[in-house]
Amino acid sequence: MHDVMYFLQQLINGLTVGSAYALIAIGYTMVYGIIGMINFAHGEIYMIGAYVSLIVITGLAVTSPAWIPLVLLVALICAIIVSSSMGWAVERIAYRPVRGQHRLIPLISAIGMSIFLQNYVHLAQGSRNIGFPLLIEGGISLGGGEDGTFQANLSYMQLTIFIVTLICMTGLSLFISRSKTGRACRAVSQDLKMSSLLGIDTNRIITATFVIGASLAAVAGLLLGMYYGSIDPLFGFIAGLKAFTAAVLGGIGSIPGAMLGGLVLGVAESFTSGYLSSEYKDVVSFGLLILILLFRPTGLLGKPEVEKI
Amino acid sequence: MKTKLNKLVVGVGASLAVMAAGTANADIKIGIAGPMTGPVAQYGDMQFSGARMAIEQINANGGVMGEKLVAVEQDDVCDPKQAVTVANNMVNDGVRFVVGHLCSSSTQPASDIYEDEGVLMITPASTSPAITDRGYELVFRTIGLDSMQGPVAGNYIASLKPQRVAVIHDKQQYGEGIASAVKSTLEDDGINVVMYEGITAGQKDFSSLVTKLKQANVDFVYYGGYHPELGLILRQAQQAGLDAQFMGPEGVGNKDINTIAGDAAEGLLVTLPPSFDQKAENQKLVKAFQDKGEDPSGPFVLTSYAAVQLIADGIEKADSKDPYEVAAALREGTFDTPIGEVQYDQSGDLKSFDFVVYKWHSDGSKTPVK
Repeated sequence: MHDVMYFLQQLINGLTVGSAYALIAIGYTMVYGIIGMINFAHGEIYMIGAYVSLIVITGLAVTSPAWIPLVLLVALICAIIVSSSMGWAVERIAYRPVRGQHRLIPLISAIGMSIFLQNYVHLAQGSRNIGFPLLIEGGISLGGGEDGTFQANLSYMQLTIFIVTLICMTGLSLFISRSKTGRACRAVSQDLKMSSLLGIDTNRIITATFVIGASLAAVAGLLLGMYYGSIDPLFGFIAGLKAFTAAVLGGIGSIPGAMLGGLVLGVAESFTSGYLSSEYKDVVSFGLLILILLFRPTGLLGKPEVEKI
Repeated sequence: MKTKLNKLVVGVGASLAVMAAGTANADIKIGIAGPMTGPVAQYGDMQFSGARMAIEQINANGGVMGEKLVAVEQDDVCDPKQAVTVANNMVNDGVRFVVGHLCSSSTQPASDIYEDEGVLMITPASTSPAITDRGYELVFRTIGLDSMQGPVAGNYIASLKPQRVAVIHDKQQYGEGIASAVKSTLEDDGINVVMYEGITAGQKDFSSLVTKLKQANVDFVYYGGYHPELGLILRQAQQAGLDAQFMGPEGVGNKDINTIAGDAAEGLLVTLPPSFDQKAENQKLVKAFQDKGEDPSGPFVLTSYAAVQLIADGIEKADSKDPYEVAAALREGTFDTPIGEVQYDQSGDLKSFDFVVYKWHSDGSKTPVK
C-alpha cells in the first residue's frame, strides 16, 4: 500500500509537469507542422506569459482584494493577450521576411528573437527570481497516511493544471478538426503552396498558428509559475528546451504527439527523481529522446515525412 | 614620405610620453569583480556597496601613499566563463589589485589568471577550500572556508539529534563542497544520513524530490547551494506537508529567499559569518552606510570593506605598489579591520574565522541561536 501511494504521488507530480510541457510543446509542433521551422523564441513567449500574469495578479491584489478565481481569470486573459500579440509580432518581424529562404536563416532569426526577448525582460524586470504567490491552496488526500505510511495528495493546484490542460487540449482538437480555420490549418500543413493556390490565405493561417501556440504557452506560464513558486527571465529557456524535447519525442508536427510527448517526459523525469536520483533526471529524459529517435526517427506518433514534389 | 614618417614617430613618441607620465601620477586601481546581474546579484550588491564605501573613506583620509584609490567595476554574473573574461579585462585595464570574485566557481578560474598575471586578489565571499590550496602567492580571502563552515553546521545538526537527515546540493563547487563537508561531519558524529543527492541549479520543479524526502521520513534537510533553489524547495515542501527542519549555508541567507518561499522560510537555519555590523567598534561605519541609504547587515558588505582596507594597509606596510611585496606584507602583518583582527597563513586563508548559526524569519530578519 505504502509503495503504491508513493508511486501514485510521483505519477501525479510527473503528469502535472508533463501537462504543462504538453501545452508549451503544442506551439513548437504546430509551427513546425505548418512552415517546417523551429520557433526557438517560443520558450520566451511562455516566460513573458508568466511575467504578465504575475504583474496583473500583484496589481489586482494591491488595488482591490478581489475574488481569487476572478483575479486568475483576468490574469489569464491579460497573459494570453500579451503573449499572443508577442507571438504575432515575432512572426511578423522575425520570420515572415525570411520565410522561403534557406532553412538556417529562419532558425538563426528565431534564436536571435529568443535572446532579444530574454534580455528585454532582464532589463525590464530585473534578473532576480521573483516569488509567485500561490493562490490555489489545499488539496485532497488520496489515501495512505495511517501509522506513518506515505500519504498521497492531489493539491488543488495540480488539479487545476490537469483541468485547464484538458480544456485547452479538447478545445484545440475541436478547433483543428471542426472549424473552418482548423481545416485550413490542416490543409496548409499538408501543402502550403497548393492550399495557397486553392485560395486559402496562408499568411493568415500561419499567423493564427503562432497566436494559438503563444496563447497556450501563456496559459502554461501562469499555471507553472504559480505551481513552481518563482520566475526569472531564464526559465523560459529551460522549459522551452524540455517542451521542444517533448514535441520531438511525440513526433514533431503532430498535435496528439506533443500531448503524449509532454506527459511521457514529465512522468519519466518524475520517476527518475523519485526512484533513482534527481541528478539523473535530465540524463534519463534526453537519453529517452535519443533512444526514440534511433528506433523511431519520426517520434512516437509522427508520420514519416513524404518528400513533396 | 620621410617627413610624414618623422611626424608619425614624433607623434607616437609624444603619446607614449603622455602615457608614461599618466602612469607615474596614476591613481591606484582597485578592481571590484562580482555579480551585478543574474540570480545572485543581491550578494554582488553587498560586495560593491562595502568596497565602494571603503574606497570612499580611504580617499577621504588622504588615500594610500598619497594616491587615490579608483574603483574598476566589472560584472561576472557569477558565471565562470564570464569571470575569465572579466579577469582578462582587469589585467588589460592595468588593475593590480582585485576585490572579488564572489561565487567560488567564478573565483576559481579567475584566480588562475590573476596569479599568472601578477594581480593580487582578495575574495570577500568565496568559501571553497580549493581556491587557496594550490600554493598561489597572490590569492587571499576575508571569509572562512567551507571546511570551517561545514563542521559548524554539522556539529549543530548533530546537537539537535535528528533521526534521519537528508543532504541535498546543487552540484556546483560551492554547494557540493559544503554539503560533503556537512555530510562527513554528520557521519563522524554518528548521525544517520539517509539521502545525499544533487539537483540542477536553475531547476524549478522539486515536487519529486520533496515526495522522495517525505517517503524517506527525513526530519532534517541540509541544503548546500543558493537561495533560488532552496526557496522553491521550502515552498514546495510546505505545500506537500513535509515536516522537516531545513538548514543551509550563507548562500541561502538573504532576503530574496523570503519573496520566493514566503512564510515557508520561517525557522530556516543558516550558518553565516558573524554580524559584523552588530559589533560596537563598527557602529561609526554602520552609520556611514545608513547615511548613504545602504544596508550594512549583509554577510559580505564588511568583508568587502575589509578586503579593500587590507589592500590599502598592505600597500602602506610594504611601502610599494608591487602586488608580490604587498602579498608578503599581508602574510607578515596583523591588521585591524571591521571583521576583527586579521592574520593570514601561508595559503592566504584567515588564521581564524567564526561561522555562527542563525534562525531565519519570514520577514527577512535573523536571530542567532548559537
